[in-house]
Amino acid sequence: MRSLLWFLALGGQPGVSRSRHFPDDVGPQLPLEHSLEKNLNGIVGDDWVISDPGRLLAYESDGLTAYRMPPTAVVLPKDTDEVSRVLQLLSKENVPVVPRGAGTGLSGGALAGEGCVVVGTARMNRILEVDSENRLALVQPGVINAHLTDAAAPFGLYYAPDPSSQSACTLGGNVAENSGGPHCLKYGVTSRYVTGLTIVTYEGQVSRIGGFGRESGGYDLVGLFVGSEGCFGIATEIEVRLLPKPESVRTLLGIFDTVEDAGRAVTRIIADGLLPAALEIVDGATIQAVEASVYAGGYPIDAEAALVIEFDGVEAGLGADVERSAAHCREAGARDVRTAESEQERMLLWQGRKKAFGAMGRIATDLLVQDATVPRSLLPDVLARISEIAERYDLKVANVFHAGDGNLHPNILFDRSDADELARVELASKDIMALCVEVGGTITGEHGVGLDKRSYMSLVHSPQELEAMRRVKYVFDPRGKMNPGKVLPDPMVTAP
Amino acid sequence: MNPVAALLASQLPEGQVVDGFRAEAWAVCDRVPRAVVFPEGEYEVAQVLSMASAEGWRCVPSGKGTWLRSGHPPDVVDVVISTTRMDRVLAYEPDDLFITAQAGIGLDLVSRRILDGRQWLPLDPAGAMHGSLGATVSTGSAGPLQAAFGTPRDHVLGVTLVTGDGRLLRLGGKVVKNVAGFDLLKLVLGSWGTLGVITSVTTRLHPVPELDRTLLFQAPEVLSAAKLARAIARSPVSFAAVEVLAPGDREGGDRSTAPLVAVRILESPPAAEMVDRLVCERADAAPIARMEGHDSHAIFENVRAMEDGAELVLRLSLLPSRLLDLVEMAVGLCEIADPDIGWGTRMAAHAPTGVVRVMIARVHRRDGWLEDAVAALASLRLSLESEGGSMVISQGPVEVVQSLGAWGEAGCARGLMRDLQREFDPASILTPARLIS
Repeated sequence: MRSLLWFLALGGQPGVSRSRHFPDDVGPQLPLEHSLEKNLNGIVGDDWVISDPGRLLAYESDGLTAYRMPPTAVVLPKDTDEVSRVLQLLSKENVPVVPRGAGTGLSGGALAGEGCVVVGTARMNRILEVDSENRLALVQPGVINAHLTDAAAPFGLYYAPDPSSQSACTLGGNVAENSGGPHCLKYGVTSRYVTGLTIVTYEGQVSRIGGFGRESGGYDLVGLFVGSEGCFGIATEIEVRLLPKPESVRTLLGIFDTVEDAGRAVTRIIADGLLPAALEIVDGATIQAVEASVYAGGYPIDAEAALVIEFDGVEAGLGADVERSAAHCREAGARDVRTAESEQERMLLWQGRKKAFGAMGRIATDLLVQDATVPRSLLPDVLARISEIAERYDLKVANVFHAGDGNLHPNILFDRSDADELARVELASKDIMALCVEVGGTITGEHGVGLDKRSYMSLVHSPQELEAMRRVKYVFDPRGKMNPGKVLPDPMVTAP
Repeated sequence: MNPVAALLASQLPEGQVVDGFRAEAWAVCDRVPRAVVFPEGEYEVAQVLSMASAEGWRCVPSGKGTWLRSGHPPDVVDVVISTTRMDRVLAYEPDDLFITAQAGIGLDLVSRRILDGRQWLPLDPAGAMHGSLGATVSTGSAGPLQAAFGTPRDHVLGVTLVTGDGRLLRLGGKVVKNVAGFDLLKLVLGSWGTLGVITSVTTRLHPVPELDRTLLFQAPEVLSAAKLARAIARSPVSFAAVEVLAPGDREGGDRSTAPLVAVRILESPPAAEMVDRLVCERADAAPIARMEGHDSHAIFENVRAMEDGAELVLRLSLLPSRLLDLVEMAVGLCEIADPDIGWGTRMAAHAPTGVVRVMIARVHRRDGWLEDAVAALASLRLSLESEGGSMVISQGPVEVVQSLGAWGEAGCARGLMRDLQREFDPASILTPARLIS
């Protein structure tokens, strides 16, 4: 069951580093009180309260499988009203709550600490409305990201944010994490697309915030709620903007002898005023892993970097953009530039990027993926320094990243059974985050803080800024019971 | 000097505090502040706010003063804090497409500074070109370009904020993707200075498009213009702006006052040709003019200036599909305009977003005018809100705004907003009622 889960979550990537805060796998928690379970059953129905320890194992971790702890129980309400009643009941009993979508998150954000009940959105998976005239959709939080685009396709529309897990992750999870994806260079992240929310806070209070076509006064509570990682409440209805599908898409691939050259090509493309939909780099170590796997896309295995460039928009303008980008790649030292002539070829050019995580399973048993972000022009320098860090700790690092937004994804490969190596992974990972902050970046660009990076928050925020965040959380959740122990680096109240 | 001004002057470097008649130009609605301060850095701002919190002085942050007549009129204003002397560019990184500047810098200066880099900040809020960057993001203001580029929340990467009690917070950063903690930046953008004073802003920039072209279509009256604009806005290509422009009924002598639809295309030349063709097909008409480059830009500078000289400015919104209904309701408002003064009633409608701006040169002061105006506006607000829309009074006669409220309903989230405000401004000195009444 466990291995199946992580396949669902990560598209087949190997297990990720184990806990830096939690001890080894923790056994089942104390069971839910019988009367509470009975009352929960009364709200959502007997089938939708899970308390059997065997079945709870399915919820013991999210995409960051290092942290494991099964919840006390899982409740699966079907709509706003049931969520509100479930939360009223749990808050009356002082039970901490962890909201959960598909569990594909990569920062341990959906992990239940001691005594926590998971409120899952799996049953809230209806697309309530696609309003093609206004280019809006109203969905429940359990709708899978890619399903919304499928539903909008007959109207010539699509939902722009496309995290790599889009075939599994939910829109509610995307709202919680403010998810990105390869195409947010041009289109922006989730918060740009969410226009309204229905939220339920810990005491069960329902609020409607935002809403397209309304400009009433007040704060941007929607913008604040997006990215709050389940610490403020549960979004039970989500209104999002849809975009018209671009008329045409063109993809090209530059092959380079050094990552620095690929980085220079990115800088040249941006400096020329071009705005690609995506600009993604995979490094030599990743290319070798992919080409040795079943996902081989025909990248030369002696190349040190491959740059995937994609443009979309009106067909008439794309040819020129592609040619200019190809010229920039060559001038930056590309040894080969390939363009796709068909959809099938386009997919092949993307192969090395999209299958990178899956392919790494071949070369290491475990993988820790960081997602720090730096100003784009500093990429070549930062990558060189990440290599130095890897060397210093005698570790293998493979890089795959959103070069256009400076969002790195260094993957540290290791074997979790080697305690010494594990310790070095932790040190290296902290050094990488510190480096990214030092050059003006931040510790996480799209995976969120969750449990994983909370102890690094002080690298990037002053005590006053952390206190301001704490106070804002307090407004939504005065009792500190919504997703406790996440994001903010206060002492873990739920640590076993 | 009055005691407030004197106390401030004793703590701040010379020349940073004015009062008396020199403070009159900084009246908030019609409330003249007891002192206006011009701090030159964030620590001075923090000093002023700490003093104000201790003394209980009601403060209104401002840039160049553009928005002082807007928002809900406060009961009392003790101090206006203007960032106008904080107008330096702190960092410009063309390769990373961002600029960091102090909040008081004018949007025109930002443009001038970055044009050489072939980049721009696509924000075109109503008002003067020299309006400050800080005030633009603090009020969340955006104009026709928001259809393609969004509002300040889509541009701003980070701000420095001094909270009501003088804490210095650096929110966000300078990278596009940043999810390290709760997004307090979004909370601050559009908060109208009620959470603190923004002292610097980092915003992303965009490449200057190769071609700037505007197609102008004419329509016999405003409803048919709105219909045309919706037909164009529904097409599957993206525009920089699709705007219905209805000049005042008493506008400019013998010039035509027929309404226009302005469609702005910012693309590469071949793409622009293609979009141009598609627009004309959709419109089923030929444009009366095709402007490029500076001329195209100039049209939208004029759109920004449409509110100049207006006594009453309203922003009405409904879903974009209801644009015609919205325009029809807006047309009804010309009844409260004075038929003999100024240019009458102007209208500008963003077709892609369903926002209509109505500008009235002067509200007609006949007998019982206040009751009539309030009744007309209240009934309009009610019908918009009942259909999920809204009416914001951007500016207007103080007695009108006071009796109606500038903003309208904010639903059950108002309690949340009040609690959030208190966390940033415990002494409640930043006149929160300007935004959340």
